[in-house]
Amino acid sequence: MGQLASQRTRVWHQMVGSLTSAAGITVLVALVIAVISTIYSGPFVLINSVVTGGMWALMAVGLSLVFGVMNVVNFAHGEFFMVGTLVGYFVFTPISSYLADHPQPLLSAVGPFIGIIAAMLIGAVLGVVLEKLVFHPLRVRTKEQWIMNTFLLTVGVSVIMINGDQLLFGTNFKGIINYWKAPPLDIFGVSISVERVVVFVLAMVVMAGFWYFMRQTRIGRAIRAVSQDETGAQMVGIELDRIQVLTMSLSSALAAMAGASLLFMFPSYPTVGLKPLYIAWYVVILVGLGNVAGALVGGFLVAMIQSLTGFYIGQGWDDVIPTAFVMLILLIKPSGLFGSEVKGVHEQ
Amino acid sequence: MSNNDKKSPEVDTVYKLEPTGPMDRLRRLSETFGVNLHGLIVIALLFALPLIPPFGREDLLRWLIGAALIGAQAIAFDFTTGYINVVNFGFAAFLGVGAYTSALLAVNFGISPWIGTFLGVLPAALLGFITGILTLRLRGIFAALMSWFVGLALLGLTRNLTGLTRGPMGLNSPTYFETASNLPYYYVIAIMMMVTFFVLRYITRSNIGLAFRALGQNIEAAQASGINPTFYRVFNFTIQCAFAGWLGGFYAHYYGILTPQIMQTSHTVEVLAIAYIGGRGSIWGGGLTAFPFIFLIEYMRSNLTNLPGLHLVLYGLLLILVMIFYPGGVAGVYASIRASARRFRQRRAAQSAA
Repeated sequence: MGQLASQRTRVWHQMVGSLTSAAGITVLVALVIAVISTIYSGPFVLINSVVTGGMWALMAVGLSLVFGVMNVVNFAHGEFFMVGTLVGYFVFTPISSYLADHPQPLLSAVGPFIGIIAAMLIGAVLGVVLEKLVFHPLRVRTKEQWIMNTFLLTVGVSVIMINGDQLLFGTNFKGIINYWKAPPLDIFGVSISVERVVVFVLAMVVMAGFWYFMRQTRIGRAIRAVSQDETGAQMVGIELDRIQVLTMSLSSALAAMAGASLLFMFPSYPTVGLKPLYIAWYVVILVGLGNVAGALVGGFLVAMIQSLTGFYIGQGWDDVIPTAFVMLILLIKPSGLFGSEVKGVHEQ
Repeated sequence: MSNNDKKSPEVDTVYKLEPTGPMDRLRRLSETFGVNLHGLIVIALLFALPLIPPFGREDLLRWLIGAALIGAQAIAFDFTTGYINVVNFGFAAFLGVGAYTSALLAVNFGISPWIGTFLGVLPAALLGFITGILTLRLRGIFAALMSWFVGLALLGLTRNLTGLTRGPMGLNSPTYFETASNLPYYYVIAIMMMVTFFVLRYITRSNIGLAFRALGQNIEAAQASGINPTFYRVFNFTIQCAFAGWLGGFYAHYYGILTPQIMQTSHTVEVLAIAYIGGRGSIWGGGLTAFPFIFLIEYMRSNLTNLPGLHLVLYGLLLILVMIFYPGGVAGVYASIRASARRFRQRRAAQSAA
């Protein structure tokens, strides 16, 4: 009897402890705000932030992962989003024009996914190219001031990719109206297009798969080991080179997937990746650089802040307010609200 | 300290020289300004350039002005990046603050652009001061991110406060001169560039510069030897942003139209690329590199119009190549050439003595 009671108090203490941590308070406050705004102005804000939040989480997870494993602060992450929109567009448009002539229910349901998967594959290949062509040579030359140097390198990569896109494909908007020609769904009195629902579900599925991969598979555990202690990981026989290549391609595949999935919201053009990049950065700073699990919550949080500002203050301000918020976080808690499991971030 | 070791032979040669010939006197004069003889020649060339035939053309003068403006910015950028080792990723926003202040003062209060250019320094320096304080606790990459966010916030404000700045519609600002000629503008920006160069060169050659370098290399070690990081980092940021604001004034009153575009990150990247290609921690590297580089870029832009964006690809490519393979940049090339020339001279002197 007494044992049970003590167990109960321990659980209670744990719950109180996790709720009064910075992360717990943030999530609670966010939930309260979401509920209040839903009561006052309908579920629009909540649903809007839930739908895009999933994809922002995917972007942020990639950014976080690359920082955790390779200590690379990737400024070119948004450009993989751009590549994703590009691939999605060029794969999906022929399919949809073929479908216009030969209606086929199966292909019209699966077609968009072909585009998204193609984007993932090309994103992954580009990630490998980036690692082999840019980071590897620098690692061979020197590891001094690695974080700053790689950051500036990715700045160069970003410039090249944006202008390479302009060079090859021009500056016109390449977008689609919708992936599926289906009437919008009606959820809690709000009509949402099918794309948004599918995108949200897709983000959740990929997120779950990613979580399983990182926790349960050998490779995923190797990646986590490298992010926690590089030397230790090498000592137990993990091949650093392969993990680094894999991480980079995984991260860029996730970003490209986000790009292809959100093609109906973000038509492809050279600088389309800027906004997703900002958002991914907001998320990562909010939850802590290198914190993969927190990125999921952070994605929804940032999406909510954005749709709240967009709804109550004005569309143009949805950059300014999150920026100010993130600056505040950086000032008060540079390791992020959820803390970071990556060691020595501030020493570097 | 290794810095003293490296410096001592040069200092010795300066003081061992007897000021006999006019060349030696000139050399000593140039040393007090922080430039050597080659530097003096380059500066003279800078002012004589519009008089040399092809560069007097109006279109080439525009390129020259663009190059000098970017070069001056790269000099200011290097003052922070190359010394305290913090990348001010919101640099363009501070330029924009100076530009908008000066332009708004001229438009709304009729203040002369010449005075406005100097008044634009104040808000930029104040914001730089604040950013310096904000980034104080943060190391390397976090400081860069913070300054980037400050820049993004300023950009967002400029875009949204349409009542004041007219936002993306653009703000017309009066120009310095009534003439259509670009020549007077070139001399204005050339002088501004020189002032930027000499002031920053003077600061970085003094003890303050040593403190900057120490902080850039290792904050704890610098603190242990009695350097106050708060003062020096905030001071550095304030000075850099003050110069950015000042150069912004020129931007406003030369181009005559301002849009929030100038505060975008891509502009910072442009300056950053030139500063790095020029050579980190040299102050002059970016300023000099800007001229051939901007000419190349502008040449590509005007002659390869069917390939838009190619010139910017070159930017990125050069930045990457310099970062990976030759971090010294142009200044590093110059230093190694000088070193090998000195070795050659010493060897010849030894041979003739023997």
